[in-house]
Amino acid sequence: MKKIILSIAALLTFGAVQAFTISQSWQMTNAYSIKFSSSSSGGIFKTCSGTILFDEANLGGSAFNVAIEVASINTGNAMMNKHAKSADWFDAPKYPQIKFASKKIVKAGSGYQVTGDLEMHGIKKEVTLPFVFSGKGTAAVFSGSFSVKRSDFHIGEAGGEVGDDIKLVVAIPVVKK
Amino acid sequence: MFKKLLLLGIVSGIMAAVASLIYQKVYASSLGADFAAIVKIPGIFISCVLGGVLAAVGYWLLQKWLKTKTEIVFNLLYTIISFASIVGPFAMKLPLEAEMPELFPGLTVPMHFFPALA
Repeated sequence: MKKIILSIAALLTFGAVQAFTISQSWQMTNAYSIKFSSSSSGGIFKTCSGTILFDEANLGGSAFNVAIEVASINTGNAMMNKHAKSADWFDAPKYPQIKFASKKIVKAGSGYQVTGDLEMHGIKKEVTLPFVFSGKGTAAVFSGSFSVKRSDFHIGEAGGEVGDDIKLVVAIPVVKK
Repeated sequence: MFKKLLLLGIVSGIMAAVASLIYQKVYASSLGADFAAIVKIPGIFISCVLGGVLAAVGYWLLQKWLKTKTEIVFNLLYTIISFASIVGPFAMKLPLEAEMPELFPGLTVPMHFFPALA
């Protein structure tokens, strides 16, 4: 009887430890790429930072917290950059960062899906973004492609030359911490 | 007369190209904004000489058409065209890896006036 109780206790302890284990921590390298494009324009965000905890075997303990500096936007044209940072679009002085904080990561086909809060232009919205994790040794790359509607975040005026759907292509090379 | 004008256009174009190159070097060394990979030497020479040749042809045509006051009308037209052409550098989309795109018009706008000055 004592053995059974001890075994159950050990199992419960193991389960609890597994549930609360923090996943592998990854450090972003400077070679990341955050590209965006719409029907008429496109560009990149040059500065991004954050913490990434990810383990394929422990998605429950995985989490993303990423912030993109709005002022680092580059469309390749100085006037467009200035306009993008202005109150007409991203309003960089008032909302200097685009933030994403994950809530849940699940396996989806050959990749994964992360659900979390995307905050842009002072508006927070829950989104689900697909991504692929390709790791080799101590290095790995998180990559994903998805679209967001700028009207959901009140970015820019409705209509106009720039389409509502903004496609984002993200590639974040990381190394194990 | 046409040959003389053409030669003048070519020489002016070369002088404008040399002035542009010197300006580009000074700009890059003083501001640290190097756009040499975008504004290339052959491009500077071709556009300046082409500008000079077109100006020579334009002057020749104006001379044939107006007979008098060619110089005043030509100078006015050339200045207006030079001013209008600065829209190009402001509207140009640089490669995304280019640093400090806001300094690009500062380099290229003055260059647009060198052929007229030459």
